[in-house]
Amino acid sequence: MKSVAANLLNDTSDAEDAVQEAFLKIYRALPGFKGESLLSTWLYRILVNTCHDLGRRRTRSPEVPAADRPEDVREPEPGAPPVDPALRLTLERLIHRLPPLPRTVFVLFEVEGFKHREIAGILGIPEVTSRYALFEAKKALQTQILASRRGRTDA
Amino acid sequence: MTFTCRDLDDTLREQEPSALEAARAHAVACPSCREMLALWDEIAAAAPRLRKEWPSPDLWPRIRRALAQEARHREGRPAWLTRLPGRLSLAAAAALALAAVAWLGLRGPGRPAGGDPTAEGRFLTEQALRDVERSEEEYVASIDRLAALAEPRVQRADSPLLARYREKLRLLDAAIATCRAELDRNRFNAHLRRELLAMYQEKQRTLQQVMEQET
Repeated sequence: MKSVAANLLNDTSDAEDAVQEAFLKIYRALPGFKGESLLSTWLYRILVNTCHDLGRRRTRSPEVPAADRPEDVREPEPGAPPVDPALRLTLERLIHRLPPLPRTVFVLFEVEGFKHREIAGILGIPEVTSRYALFEAKKALQTQILASRRGRTDA
Repeated sequence: MTFTCRDLDDTLREQEPSALEAARAHAVACPSCREMLALWDEIAAAAPRLRKEWPSPDLWPRIRRALAQEARHREGRPAWLTRLPGRLSLAAAAALALAAVAWLGLRGPGRPAGGDPTAEGRFLTEQALRDVERSEEEYVASIDRLAALAEPRVQRADSPLLARYREKLRLLDAAIATCRAELDRNRFNAHLRRELLAMYQEKQRTLQQVMEQET
């Protein structure tokens, strides 16, 4: 939960605040949880909405970008393909320029490993919207990374 | 149909396996599409590394304090909670919230749901399992207390609806016992724990419905 919040808010301190606030909302709402969706879907829905609310309330930039703290970054899975550290840092910077929906879907799908069906439940959108939002996010990231790489080559 | 460069975006948007296969075959001879596909794959490979983990030793105590404070200042509790003694209702609600989220910690999107402790060892450490089991015990104890309160009404079952609730509770208890026996054989089986949680939630809902029945 902390990781989702940190990637949506780009700040680990704000992420912890969001998790705490989400817990309070869960506590208030749990007796009314009717089981119409999976518990996990319901919990992440509360968390994502809390992050969006908090993000709107807080416009300040983080003093230390989360990615600059080495302990923040997950170690690669054994056998995972090597990843260019520069690309990871670029992605971290660029995802926060994406519009809210593509950013949220990108974080949930590509970073956290949710499926489109689960994301649709969390965000209350059709599955196809989740797929299209992911495409929009990746296309925007691809375009910016390509432009940046070509700029470096031309220079 | 022949794949052309113009089809690439639609293919990546729709993610249809046969079209993706055609795109990759086309990219072998097309440097532009090859570059786009390679970057697409690079982004997908790099994204999981954005997942963040950091120690937060103060977070749980903070959340517990906030929940306790919330409970103290809470007004207008839900009907089923107001029927429980004061401290019990707080304990029940807090245990439910904590147990639900502790249980959720096992879920780990995209992780295997099977019971292989070596594969899940990175996530399901013994300590984490003990935390979950402790939360689970508190949650179960809260439901048992709720069941004790509902017991006279369930046993009386003076309406067809209550008789159905009694039968449902009997079936749930049998299913819970079976699931717990399986879990005793493999404590690391996250899938079984989720099943068990779902059954307890259903039992909790059923007990609430019993309590809400007019006498």
